[in-house]
Formats: sequence, structure tokens, C-alpha cells
Amino acid sequence: MMRPINLLWLAASFLVTLALLALWQWIANHGYVSKVFLPGPDRAFAALTRDYSSGKLFTEVGQTVLRMALGWLVASAIGIGLGAAIGISPFARTWIAPTFEFIRPLPASAIAPVAIVFLGMTDNMILLLIAFGSVWPMLLTTIHGFSNVHPRLDEVARVLRLNRFERVYKIALPAAMPDILGGLRLGLTIALILAVVGEMITVQGGLGSRILLAARGFRAPDIFAGVIMLGLIGLATNVALTALERRLLRWQPAPAT
Amino acid sequence: MTATLHQFERNFEDAPRAAAKTGRKPLISLKGVGLSFGSHEVLQDINVDIGEGEFVCVIGPSGCGKTTLLRILSGLIQASRGTVSYRGKAQTEPASDIAIVFQDYANALLPWRTASQNISLALEAAATPRAERKDRIAHLLEKVGLSKHADKYPSEMSGGMQQRLQIARCLAQNPSVILMDEPFGALDAMTRQKLQDEILAIVSESNVTAFFVTHDLEEAIYLADRVIALEPNPGRIAELIDVPLARPRNQLTTREEPEFLALRRKLFDFVLRYE
Ligand SMILES: Nc1ncnc2c1ncn2[C@@H]1O[C@H](COP(=O)(O)OP(=O)(O)OP(=O)(O)O)[C@@H](O)[C@H]1O
Ligand SMILES: [Mg+2]
Repeated sequence: MMRPINLLWLAASFLVTLALLALWQWIANHGYVSKVFLPGPDRAFAALTRDYSSGKLFTEVGQTVLRMALGWLVASAIGIGLGAAIGISPFARTWIAPTFEFIRPLPASAIAPVAIVFLGMTDNMILLLIAFGSVWPMLLTTIHGFSNVHPRLDEVARVLRLNRFERVYKIALPAAMPDILGGLRLGLTIALILAVVGEMITVQGGLGSRILLAARGFRAPDIFAGVIMLGLIGLATNVALTALERRLLRWQPAPAT
Repeated sequence: MTATLHQFERNFEDAPRAAAKTGRKPLISLKGVGLSFGSHEVLQDINVDIGEGEFVCVIGPSGCGKTTLLRILSGLIQASRGTVSYRGKAQTEPASDIAIVFQDYANALLPWRTASQNISLALEAAATPRAERKDRIAHLLEKVGLSKHADKYPSEMSGGMQQRLQIARCLAQNPSVILMDEPFGALDAMTRQKLQDEILAIVSESNVTAFFVTHDLEEAIYLADRVIALEPNPGRIAELIDVPLARPRNQLTTREEPEFLALRRKLFDFVLRYE
């Protein structure tokens, strides 16, 4: 029942993508926007295949993905760990959580100068930037998830005399999982953005540096090639997270279509 | 000689029931129990002894403190006044052999666990060895008629099936006492009657003591050995009513017995006073 519908969707989005590419090519060919700023997809893909065969593309994508993943993992560990601790404890929720409301709205770019002062133009600075920026959604969704376990489940745990560890591991964590996964997804998007921003600031390799340098050298096809790769990374990580979500949340009733 | 033997036999037969009724050695004993939330007095001076194997139903108008009373018995909350003892000891926290069937089965089950895994939770909590769990689970699923649905998630089950599953999880605790708070309130009439008979069978089979809160007066009479009628503001015992109907009970014949109809009339009159 699901299959044909999914296939149709897939085919439709593929067609839309093709149409947009065609439109892009058409605009570029007719010179509505100067070639210096807008290369056609043909030239962008030419830049991509060139860097692919030289191995440069692989290195750059690898650097960016690695930074994004590391920063995201650090943020996940902190966000879920701290979020769980705060979510379980009413005391912490009353006294610590409000502080977050003050720190959270700070844009991650605002802490970049602070991070640079302490860590210099280094990889660690980028990691800190990513971790700081992407930890919030995970922290807040985890707190929300852990503090909103249905009171009945708490009672079931008490009646069955589960110990503290079992209560967290067998009741609260799975109950909070849908919220946590939502936070992980948001966090990953932010991590990718901040990886690029960090690379643009430090110019230590990666797609961010590439795009920055290409912009300075007016190499528009290289910029677009970098942006395309970023889009693909975003897409791939999203697909991976969706698969993980499907697996972990397969108990949830299928949404009515 | 023969006369004394005959006499002895009769006494012997009557003994267990009589012990339960007179509460010579009550399993649960409430003395002067009261509870207030702040200045709001919810329960006042509750005195009742519940014998082993007895089936007690509680009725009373909405808000009279039935759920609160059940929660005090369970050890989930503490009385403000009086004493609650279970097996002669003060009941200060949930005991591992007292199970609760909650009315809102959908919230009481773990939605991320299948039927088997939900039952397993109680076994894990009791540190039942892994090797034994599988057989116990299969046995319990069969007992509540869910063998075919072992691997379904609660969201894939009907309300009646979910409530059966919750009952199975309670039975996995090997309880001496089952507390039930309007367990069939959300189910349709047919499912409700089926589950009533299933719970009676389970209780008589394993000599479990049952404490059953309900809005449904006929359900109370049908199930109970004794009905506690609570009156509201503050909640207190208005009457303790013995139900001398024969067991096993039958959905058709029991409900037609004059004794049943008389009790039904009596309870209706009681409830109407508070409408
Ligand atoms: N946690 C609480 N804090 C304050 N008041 C409470 C609390 N729990 C229950 N009450 C009050 O105690 C009274 C009895 O509530 P309870 O839920 O025991 O009634 P009930 O007989 O089970 O009602 P129903 O038939 O509607 O389920 C009500 O007036 C309710 O408002
Ligand atoms: Mg109630």
C-alpha cells in the first residue's frame, strides 16, 4: 500500500529536480545573470568532476563531514546526557533550565570570537563552535522528553519496583526518544551550517574554505560545486537519520495518509 | 459419632469462606484511614478489613475518593491519618505482590514494547532469569487470549486487547492482591462482560484478593463478595454490603436472580441520593 505511493513521490521529486536544473541552465545560457556570478549547471558539474578525479573533492567533503560529525557527536553526548539529568530532576528543571533560556538565544556566530580567543584558528575552535550551536536543540528536546514521561508510566515503574537505572533506561529514555531524535535532526542541520561557517573563518580546508577561496578568486563554478556538495551532504545525513528514526520508532502508529 | 463427623465436615467446608468474611486474619486492614489534600478532606475514617481471596468492589459517586482509596492501598500515596496494614505490616510503599490494573491502559503500557515485551517488564523487574521468561510470557499470553498477538505493539491492538495485556503484566507479578480502578470503564459492553468473567476465573484460580473500583453498579454486584459503598464530601463508608450470590457466576442467570435484582435496587437507591 505504501510502496507505489512512495515511488510516485520519488519520481515526482526527481522530475522537479530535473526541471529546476533545466531552468537554471536556461537562465545561465541566456545570460540573464552575468556568467561571472551564475555559471550554468554544466560548468558547476564540470568543476565537480575535475575535483573528483583529482581527489580534492573527496578530501574537502571528508574534512567538512568529519568536523560536522564530531561536533554533532560531542553536542549529542552533552545534550542528551545533561538533558536527561535535568529532565529527570524537578529541582534541576526549576533551577538550571531557566539559565538556558538566557544563553540559548545567543547566535553561535557571536561566540566565534570568544572561541577564537581561547582556541585560535584551529580545528578545535570549529568543533567548539559546532558543539555550542547544535547542543541547544538536543538539550531542550531531551529535557522536554524526559520531563514529559506520562505520570502513569512513573506509577507503573514504582508498582513494579524498578530501580533508578531501570526507570531511566527502560522507561524514560524510550519515552523521550521521539523528542530526542527530533533534536538530533535539528542539531545535525545546525552542525553542517556551523562546520561551513567555522571553515570560512579559519580557512583550514573543507568545503567552507573552498567556497570562501573560490569567491575571492571569482571562480563561480567552484562555489556552486561546493554548494551542491553541501546540499548532498545535508540530504544524505537526513536520509540516514530518517532511517534511524524509522528503526527506533517503529512502534509508533503509522501516520494516516 | 456420625453426627459429630458430619458436623466436622460441614464446619470444614465453611471454614475458608467464613475466615474471609469475618476477617479473622485480614490480609489488608484499614483503621481510621483519612486523607486530606491541603485543607480538602477527601477520605474520612475508613475502617475495613479485607480477607485473603476476597473480591471487594467499591462504588460511589464521582469524586468521592475511590481512586484515592485504591492508591492508598497500593502504597503509591500515604494516608494522612489512621493505619493501613498489609499482612500485618504498615503499607508505606508499593509491594511487589500487589498489582494495579489502571483504567487508562493506553498510558500504562509501554508503547515501544510489544505485547510479550510489556509482560517481560514485570518479569525483568522481579529478576526472573531470562531462560524462564519466555515460557512464562507464553503462558500468560495464553491465559488472557493474546497468544496470536505476542509481537504486536499496543498501538496495533484494540482497547480490550490492551487491557488484557495490562492484566497479563499484572499477573506476571504473581500478585496476592490485584487493585483495579475502573479497568473496564472504557470498553464496550460485550468486551466488558467477557473480561469480567475472565477476571473472575483468574481470581478464583489463583486465590487472588481483588479490590475493584467501578461506576457500574451491576458490575460491582456481579463480581463482588462484598461491596463498599462510599458517600462523598468527605469520602467515607456509607455501607458494607455482602453479596451472597453463588459462584461461579453467570452473565445471564446470575443477573436474573432475585437477590441480584434486590441488591441492584438497593445500590441504585444509594447512588440516586447523591445525584
Ligand atoms: N493530587 C490531588 N490533589 C488534590 N486533590 C485531589 C488529588 N487527587 C484527588 N483529589 C481530589 O480528591 C477527590 C477524590 O478524587 P478521586 O479521584 O479519588 O475520586 P473518584 O471517586 O475516583 O472519582 P471518579 O469516580 O470520578 O474517578 C476529588 O475531589 C479530587 O478533586
Ligand atoms: Mg477514580
